[in-house]
Amino acid sequence: MIRRGMRAICCAFVVLLGGAGEIRTAESAPAGASFEQSVDLQPLAELAVQSGGRIKSLGSFAQGEMGFISGPRLIHGQSSLFTYFDLLIRPEAYADADVIYVKGGSVRQRIADAVLREDPSLQERMRAFQSSGLISGALLGRDGVAAVIEQMQGDLLRTAKVMDAVRGAQMLMQTDALLRGLRIVPPAPADERQRWHSISEVMLLAADPGAAKASGKEVAPIAGLDVGLQQQCAQHWRAMVEAWIDGDAPRVNASARALAAMVPTLNPAASPDPTRLRWEAWYFANGNLSWIWLVYALSVILLLLAVVYRWPRAKSAGLVVFAVAFLLQTVALLLRWWISARFPNSNMFEAVTTSAWFGGCAAVILEVALRKRAVAGLVALASGFASAVALMSAHFLPVQLNAQIGNMMPVLHDVWLYIHTNVIIFSYCLIFMAAVSAGLYLAYRALGGKRVHASVGGVATLSSEGMGGFRSERTGEVLDGVTMLLMKLSFVLLWAGIAMGAIWADHSWGRPWGWDPKEVFALNTFVVFAVLVHVRYRALDKGLWTALLAVVGAAVMLFNWIVINFVITGLHSYA
Amino acid sequence: MSAVRWIVDLFSSVRFGITLLVLLFVYMSIGSAGVVYPIHPNLFHPDAWVHDQLRQWRPFEMTEFEWFHWWPFNLLIGLIAANMIVTTLRRIPLRLVNLGVWMIHTGIIVLIVGSVHYFHAKVEGDAPVARRKIVLEVDGTDGSVELLAAQGARAVIGEGAEQYAVEVVDIDPAWMLRTEGSDGEPAYSVTVSVQTAARRFMRQLIAGRPDLTEDLLPGSGPAQPMQRALKATGTAIVDAALRMRLDYEAQGWFYLRNDLAKAWALYVRPAGTSEWTMRPLDGLPLYNDRVSSTADVLVADPASASLRPMLLPVPPVDGDPFPDVTIAVDGYLRYAQLRSLLVPGGANAPFNPTVTLDIKGDQGAESTYRLMALDAERSTADDGLLRMAAVSSEAEFEQLLRPAEIRVRVPAAGVDVVQRVRVPKDDAAAEAFVPVGDPLLGYGYRVRAAQDDLPVGGRSASVLIMDVKTPSGVIRRWVFSDAALTRDVPAGEGGHAAPVQPDPAVEVEYMPGGGRALLTVVAGPDERQLRLIAAFGDAVGKAQSIEVGGSVRLPAGLTVELSSYEPRARVVEGPVPIPFEQRIRDAREMFSMAHIIVPGAAPLWLRFSPYAFDDARFALRRHPFHPQRIRLADGREMDILFSRQRLPLGTDVALEDFVLATHSGGYTGESGTIRDYTSLLRFRDAPDQPWSDPTQVSVNAPVEHRGLWFFQAQWDPPEPVSARDPRGSAGLNYTVLGVGNREGVWTQLAGCVIAVAGMTYAFYVKPLLIRRRTERAKEAARKRLALSGVLP
Repeated sequence: MIRRGMRAICCAFVVLLGGAGEIRTAESAPAGASFEQSVDLQPLAELAVQSGGRIKSLGSFAQGEMGFISGPRLIHGQSSLFTYFDLLIRPEAYADADVIYVKGGSVRQRIADAVLREDPSLQERMRAFQSSGLISGALLGRDGVAAVIEQMQGDLLRTAKVMDAVRGAQMLMQTDALLRGLRIVPPAPADERQRWHSISEVMLLAADPGAAKASGKEVAPIAGLDVGLQQQCAQHWRAMVEAWIDGDAPRVNASARALAAMVPTLNPAASPDPTRLRWEAWYFANGNLSWIWLVYALSVILLLLAVVYRWPRAKSAGLVVFAVAFLLQTVALLLRWWISARFPNSNMFEAVTTSAWFGGCAAVILEVALRKRAVAGLVALASGFASAVALMSAHFLPVQLNAQIGNMMPVLHDVWLYIHTNVIIFSYCLIFMAAVSAGLYLAYRALGGKRVHASVGGVATLSSEGMGGFRSERTGEVLDGVTMLLMKLSFVLLWAGIAMGAIWADHSWGRPWGWDPKEVFALNTFVVFAVLVHVRYRALDKGLWTALLAVVGAAVMLFNWIVINFVITGLHSYA
Repeated sequence: MSAVRWIVDLFSSVRFGITLLVLLFVYMSIGSAGVVYPIHPNLFHPDAWVHDQLRQWRPFEMTEFEWFHWWPFNLLIGLIAANMIVTTLRRIPLRLVNLGVWMIHTGIIVLIVGSVHYFHAKVEGDAPVARRKIVLEVDGTDGSVELLAAQGARAVIGEGAEQYAVEVVDIDPAWMLRTEGSDGEPAYSVTVSVQTAARRFMRQLIAGRPDLTEDLLPGSGPAQPMQRALKATGTAIVDAALRMRLDYEAQGWFYLRNDLAKAWALYVRPAGTSEWTMRPLDGLPLYNDRVSSTADVLVADPASASLRPMLLPVPPVDGDPFPDVTIAVDGYLRYAQLRSLLVPGGANAPFNPTVTLDIKGDQGAESTYRLMALDAERSTADDGLLRMAAVSSEAEFEQLLRPAEIRVRVPAAGVDVVQRVRVPKDDAAAEAFVPVGDPLLGYGYRVRAAQDDLPVGGRSASVLIMDVKTPSGVIRRWVFSDAALTRDVPAGEGGHAAPVQPDPAVEVEYMPGGGRALLTVVAGPDERQLRLIAAFGDAVGKAQSIEVGGSVRLPAGLTVELSSYEPRARVVEGPVPIPFEQRIRDAREMFSMAHIIVPGAAPLWLRFSPYAFDDARFALRRHPFHPQRIRLADGREMDILFSRQRLPLGTDVALEDFVLATHSGGYTGESGTIRDYTSLLRFRDAPDQPWSDPTQVSVNAPVEHRGLWFFQAQWDPPEPVSARDPRGSAGLNYTVLGVGNREGVWTQLAGCVIAVAGMTYAFYVKPLLIRRRTERAKEAARKRLALSGVLP
């Protein structure tokens, strides 16, 4: 009976994964797809650009900018960089193309209603808009729609933010804004702290200044940079634009290559390490490696099979896959650390993925230490599940968990960012992992498992031997033992993390404790675990109460992370 | 069982402790996240559920801080502490295995003690500190006049012909010095324009370098609008009678944070003085409106206004300048704007023509203007480019159509001519003299420049600068539209000699005509008649009729639409509460106002001002300052202000410098380009003491001075030039410091550390001890059994 039930959990998980894979649907390919496919923008993607006080690769820059316009969607399946250039060079092709992303179902509904009032023939297109969120600037500009937008802009409480994003997208789509953003020309050696120059500042430089002067179209080159090189850059740029308009991919590729090779030579000292740029472009082009969730999901399936069927090979295979996934995630974290030049824990994407990685570290250490014990495989299962969920969130919610690398706010430049934040997110991951084993325990009990609990927990679990192999009456004990093991660790870390946050707040905001919602709910999570410890001490059915309260604690922790962060924002809103 | 025993048993019950913890969880959740409740029977409807902050509701009216200092919370914490102490003492024997739980409970008790101390003593607020003030002194005038070194700040000093009207026209926080020894070093520079009856010049002041003060004179042409006086005249200061210097603008107060615990206050002072006296205003809400009478607010439908009367007395305090006046507050609006409604005054109301105009650009930009012809302040807009006038006759209307003219009279020659003013575009000196009367007589003039609607000593005047030729020579004359101001400025030396009364041989009168307005709306002579004069690119305006609802296209892609006209308008002013969904979320109390009743004076709404600045000349950019002047029944005048309570810093703070550190590429307006904010502060514990050496305060790096900690809190960002703000601002002109105390934090920290140690012990040492003890017991048992022969 219990085995059958656990099997059902296993199946449900597999179905869930399959369903998640379906979320992305293919977009219909546009007519000019062959041009897009034969254009090779890789050399340009690895070019340096200055944006928001950072030097980044043009590839990751375009992805970030297109994120502001099209949200999580790729236009016609094109790369972000291609769409950026296409918008810039052929704006007319996008005037009535559905490229602007609108967030939120009710806002989409109101816009769609307004469009359909004006033009009922657009039923099909509006249906597509409501599912993808993409709409064209031309439709938004219609009188009836503009009136609805204005109305929604006035509602500062509910819709103004979404409308601001739409306005921002429309501004960003303007040719001059796109052109201004292309700050790929490094400043002169004398003023390296200055802003980089936009390509627009050199693109009109004539090859023959004499003729330009005669025709009155003279443009001054940037002082301090080699004029000849600037003229050549201008020529390559113009050649690329002309070829692009002609739809001549080979010429575009040749000019793009030449431009990408030429621009860094304007001021080689200012241009950053090309290897780092290449890897940055690669990292973003590969979706921040958030696809690693699939590997974690595979390890979770195998380890679940091991629990349900007590199948040692599945456990071994699961642990191996888990190790591979953890290794990949470690590589992704180190890569991000290297390209952003700081430890990744200062925005929502980084907090979620790094938190999961900390859980992975704990799992690796505990699995090695407990390899001969009955709990072997379970910590990895919990961690694998946590990491799969975290990376899946990053993968499927790129708007909420924006992976772009930006500069940290001044207040985050403090050693306590590394101490407090890491300890807190580590404890949060452990709380989530404890809830996974608690959830399995509850499933075990719901399917008729015995009313048992582990008599030992914490460090004692490490040293208690002889629980090798699963016996069904011990499954509950082992699961409860894992919950307690993780709970105790998170209990200490959470308390210490809150105290460390208070130390930081004391010298940063002037008060160790300010009853900020995020602080209060961290304390609330701790209160739940304090209740858990005392209930376990008094209750008769210790296993059940422990599991229930571990799940409640995780729910409060997630509430703090999701609802407090996105709905009830407070001082801690840096994400 | 006795009651005492029952209570002691209760407090040593773990169940009771668990109950208290659950209550604590619920209390904290409600106070912090609020409540969610349905407002619709269909619970699955997306709009059926509402989220609200319970603590902000009328019966509570509490900030987070107040909710967590309310007696139920204190009681809960007290009960938990008592429960922990009693249980620990009664039920947990102090043994090695129990050391962990003892430490945890002790740590939490220590933390609670530390927190009671900390929160009991807590004060927290903010103190704005401006960078510099300007001190003005004039020979022959007693005392000095001070004004803030802030773009647009104005002051007048001196009297009569010796009156100086000064205005700060430019502040450059990073002016590059070009003097020997400090070439290329950035310095804080303030440029002030000085207008006297006779001339206008600029003076540049450099912080910390009074030796570099110098004047700038109008230059020779558009290529060089200003030139250094040193170059033009050989002397750096052209008017030594006016002395100016920069000084620190000391701040001695900090203002309590109103969103921490409500700390409203009224400030009063006799009109004309600068010291405010604070009267704490207790009991005023923060989140919910209180209105005592429908007449107090402007709402479309007075019947819909829900009345919630209130009457809070604000009595005089010790040393109050109005010891006999108790002010009362009977209304509060959380978020409202003062607006004026124009209502038709009826047939018997006085003639008061008022229009509402919309001016649209072809880029979609649109501005709405309301002009009142007979109101000096509201008859013009946009620096005088838009204007409304009322005429009582066609002749007056004709006058408005006329271009600028001068009337020149030479009594000796019997000449009296009126001529149109032609202002030369380029080099005025090259223009020939316009003869007056018979050229042989030798009288003539030439116009050098015209400047209309100049602010002179608080008034507005138009001036024509011209050369007047008489048989005895050429006189430089400044002809004002107000003839009393007209002066001759003896020629030569760049006009440095003192101006003199005009030579009576030639009388010149300046009639600016339609003035500098590009658009003039004219009402009258018939009260229903409305005409528009447009003078784009032309000295002579073109008139056309305009009606309500009608529009007129103008050059430069502009369209004027007349949306309303009321010939006998009456203005009703009052606050309009802004609908909740239109409120800016982080506006806090910035748009709140209180309804004040001062005995013997008309009640009024006072808008919130975050700081009690000395006067408008010391108000900081982006920090509204709305004092009001009230005349009491006995004739005394009172200035009154609605703000927050303040406390003395116990020291003076000055801002030496403010530094913005940026990432690669400098500050671009995006917050992501900022790396750090740093204020360089100086302290002075008494006015007669010297200022301390500069101390650096930046983010995450506060400084302590006399028990208070100073934090970097806000800054003055640069603002680009815009239609609203044609001057823009280079920013970095002030800092706002967070100020607070932190008593008891070490006790709190000790409590946390003890608890962490206890948890580690309880979770990771205690199981080992127990295991070792069990093994030892097993071993002993085995030995015993072996001895007794049961086991081999």
